Amino acid sequence: MLSQIIVQWRLWFVVAFLFCASVLLGARLLQLQVMQKDFLNEQGDARTVRYEDIRAHRGMITDRNGEPLAVSTAVETVWMNPKLYWKKLKAAADENPENYQLIRLATQKLAQALDVSEQSLLTRLRENETKGFIYLKRKLQPAIAQQVKDLKVPGVFNRREYMRYYPAGEVATHVLGFVNIDEKGQEGVELAYDEWLQGTPGQKKVLKDGSDNIIKDLALVREAEPGKNLKLTLDMRLQYLAYRELKAVVTAHQAKAGSVVMLDAKTGDILAMVNQPSYNPNNRKNINTASLRNRAVTDLFEPGSTMKPLTVAAALETGRYSPGTSINTSPGYLRIGRKNIRDHHDYGVIDVSSIVAKSSNVGTSKIALDITGDALWDMYYRLGFGQMVGIGFPGEGVGVLPHPVKWKPLQVATMSYGYGLNLTALQLAQSYQVLANDGIKKQAALVLRDTIPEGDFIMPAHVARDVRTMLGKVVAKGGTGTRAQVEAYDVGGKTGTVHSVGASGYEDSSYKALFAGIAPVENPAVVMVVVIVGPSGDEYYGGEVAAPVFSRVISGTMRLLNVKPDHMPAMAESEKRLQEILDNHKS
Amino acid sequence: MNANSAPLMHSTTTGKNAASENAAGFDWWLLLSAGALLYIGMMMITSASTQVGEVKLDNPFYYFSRHAVFMVLGLVAAVIVSRVKISWWFDSGWFLLFTSLALLIAVLVVGREVNGSTRWIRLGPVNIQPSEIAKIFLIGYLAGYLVRRQDEVRDSWWGFFKPIAVMFIAAILLLIEPDFGATVVIVAASLGMIFLSGAKLGKFLVLILVCLALGTLLIIWKPYRLKRLIAYTDPWADQFDTGYQLTQSLIAFGRGEWTGLGLGQSIQKLMFLPEAHTDFVYAIIAEEFGFIGAASVVVLFSVLVFRGMRIGANAEKAGQLYSALFAYGISLLIGIQAFINIGVNTGLLPTKGLTLPLVSYGGSSLVMSCIAIGILYRIDKESRWAKAAESADESRQTKSKYKRTAGPAIYG
Repeated sequence: MLSQIIVQWRLWFVVAFLFCASVLLGARLLQLQVMQKDFLNEQGDARTVRYEDIRAHRGMITDRNGEPLAVSTAVETVWMNPKLYWKKLKAAADENPENYQLIRLATQKLAQALDVSEQSLLTRLRENETKGFIYLKRKLQPAIAQQVKDLKVPGVFNRREYMRYYPAGEVATHVLGFVNIDEKGQEGVELAYDEWLQGTPGQKKVLKDGSDNIIKDLALVREAEPGKNLKLTLDMRLQYLAYRELKAVVTAHQAKAGSVVMLDAKTGDILAMVNQPSYNPNNRKNINTASLRNRAVTDLFEPGSTMKPLTVAAALETGRYSPGTSINTSPGYLRIGRKNIRDHHDYGVIDVSSIVAKSSNVGTSKIALDITGDALWDMYYRLGFGQMVGIGFPGEGVGVLPHPVKWKPLQVATMSYGYGLNLTALQLAQSYQVLANDGIKKQAALVLRDTIPEGDFIMPAHVARDVRTMLGKVVAKGGTGTRAQVEAYDVGGKTGTVHSVGASGYEDSSYKALFAGIAPVENPAVVMVVVIVGPSGDEYYGGEVAAPVFSRVISGTMRLLNVKPDHMPAMAESEKRLQEILDNHKS
Repeated sequence: MNANSAPLMHSTTTGKNAASENAAGFDWWLLLSAGALLYIGMMMITSASTQVGEVKLDNPFYYFSRHAVFMVLGLVAAVIVSRVKISWWFDSGWFLLFTSLALLIAVLVVGREVNGSTRWIRLGPVNIQPSEIAKIFLIGYLAGYLVRRQDEVRDSWWGFFKPIAVMFIAAILLLIEPDFGATVVIVAASLGMIFLSGAKLGKFLVLILVCLALGTLLIIWKPYRLKRLIAYTDPWADQFDTGYQLTQSLIAFGRGEWTGLGLGQSIQKLMFLPEAHTDFVYAIIAEEFGFIGAASVVVLFSVLVFRGMRIGANAEKAGQLYSALFAYGISLLIGIQAFINIGVNTGLLPTKGLTLPLVSYGGSSLVMSCIAIGILYRIDKESRWAKAAESADESRQTKSKYKRTAGPAIYG
């Protein structure tokens, strides 16, 4: 009988045993899924929840009219996990020869897409085989990055980044500076206003899978705050114009370097600031450090004769001199101690106006010695020499304006015609701005201001006007700066030619050609300084090298700024003809 | 002993189920629970394997499509098996034994080594796992032996020892692979069958002690087993090496909480939990459907195993002793394997390479699980037919006689 073999209690025993096993499992499930869930979730989160930075969009830099000068565009960076790559390759080699071939082929194509040899790519991956992250190529165009992604090489990932692009290229690069690959400002405005521009990166909480891919955005921890835009005072139209002319003259005279600074005469806004040599900020592969400097702001030079109008201003301010005051410059030199101060010619007895027009060292020295070094220094100091202009530019030059306890006559004399002190092109432009703005200094600025400051009183308006009139004569027939003339406009300015300072003092054959001018001279719109360093060849005088740059740039500037011409015969002629046509038509 | 308990049991069930368990009926609960588990398996394998298929094989539906093919194969096999008379299994005892042993030896000779174990024989596009086939066949053989030599088994040590020696050989072959999990399952199911076959308790206890001693020896003998054993006691101590898989599995359970993250929402399957679609698919069920889903699977297995045991009991009542033992063996096989798999998933037991029957990905396991259900179905049918024939006989002779004997048994 069966009953004798299988005893019922044994069956129940086994069933009960199995039942207990299920209950045990159920209890364990409760323990894990209910009691320990917090601990387990915490452990799970530790392996999957990650915080990712959200990169903030860097602010745009524009010129005063909103023309973009520095913009960040979205690009893709391709990075790789070499560890994963080798692991996958090995797995494929062991298990799936077909897949192995596919990976090898894709790697080959990857190398092609990245423009490197397959060998060097593999070497790099081999060298970094223990690493989980290397950059393959940063800042690729999105289309190319997509191609790379489509190759599906194991361990290759894309990441969104931004690239800084400078539409104006070399024209504005000294002002703008540039950022590094991580979009941190390195030079220029990019550096000076880095915090303003960069914004604050955000953070998000994400869920990552076992291969480090984001599977879900969990929460936004902090929104990325995009950087703020920055509007510069530059007017790109004038900037281009100034750059073109500067580059042309530096090339033509095979000069070492050059700068042009243009200020708005009424506000102090820097309308143009260009330098040579320059570089392309969008491709900085082969730049040398010499071309990096914004020379107009950083480089110091002795201003030479461009100081004479300012010396005269100090004299006029005393009230003891007027433009017509006669000074005897005979015999064309002035001996102070063992040093001779010379003019080009013996100009004889000339008035103050002519001293500026002829650029007489002797005349200027005599005036300076008369009004004393303190008065001269005081004027120079008020004009801003020896102090930072304060546009907040990195590496801004301060310059040297010595103030000895006791003035030596020779020091006073040389300072009166611009030796023994040094300054930047920007400082020189700022001082001429005072002349242009009837004695009121408006601080130069590179970033557009909401309100223009009232300015500082530096000298009486009549003094400034008188000096301007003299500057007009420099440019007029018989002056040293005739080549600065501009058709239809009366402009004024002062030339300067200084010996460059080398290792052993002044160098005989190396010059700086300078021109500082105001246009139009009656009702000034702009102030401009031209500095050409080391022109080689026969022409090296400020009037020959720097003045023509002034002329050409100002001629374009006047038209672009819609400045009313002082005289325009051609226009008068055409108006007359128009009237005649109209008259004929009527009758 | 217990000479009067058998008629009691016999008549009780007959009286109750005479109407419902007729010859045309079948065990709904068995098929429903098995079908539900197959369905859950299909769904969860699809959910758990898309990522791993995409990453490893560039085809998110690789595992799904293969599993689907095996499921069709399994269902066809189950239907075929359900048409095979149980007497065929009984008569083919030697065939079953030799096929099992031959396959287990063959795998050691021509098998493929994966992760240090030689468990698969490559046969064209599919890999066959002989241990899965051996499990059912050996149970079939053992049931036959226990029935044929029931007196010998009960009365003499030698008779008791012989079937155990045969299972011992199979166990050694499995351990050489090594497949410790399959060994444990088959040994445990065999022990259960021997116990149910009525072996003397004293002998049985000795056998249990010997098995435990051997098991302990095995664990100490191979250091990696000891390492695994230690790893499972505190997986967090070495969570990035030996404890990695288990900690990832436990995290899946914790994340599931009561109701789960929802179908397809598992995070652990995304390259965190290795073998998420095979041995650890249960953890993904727990993560996506929470305690409710995980407990449901336990309930489904409990129903399946209980119905299997019940089919065995019914067969026994119908006088089909071989069928009964075979059904017990198969039920135990499924139950123990499911228990071990879930135990491993939940960290109750040390890690082993065992699938969850009917649910996990794996062709051999799936097809053999379906065949097991097919056999249970057949046993159920045959016992129903026998019962129907018997009651027809009885009613043809004298209904009153039957009632008379049954009456006092029910109420008395």
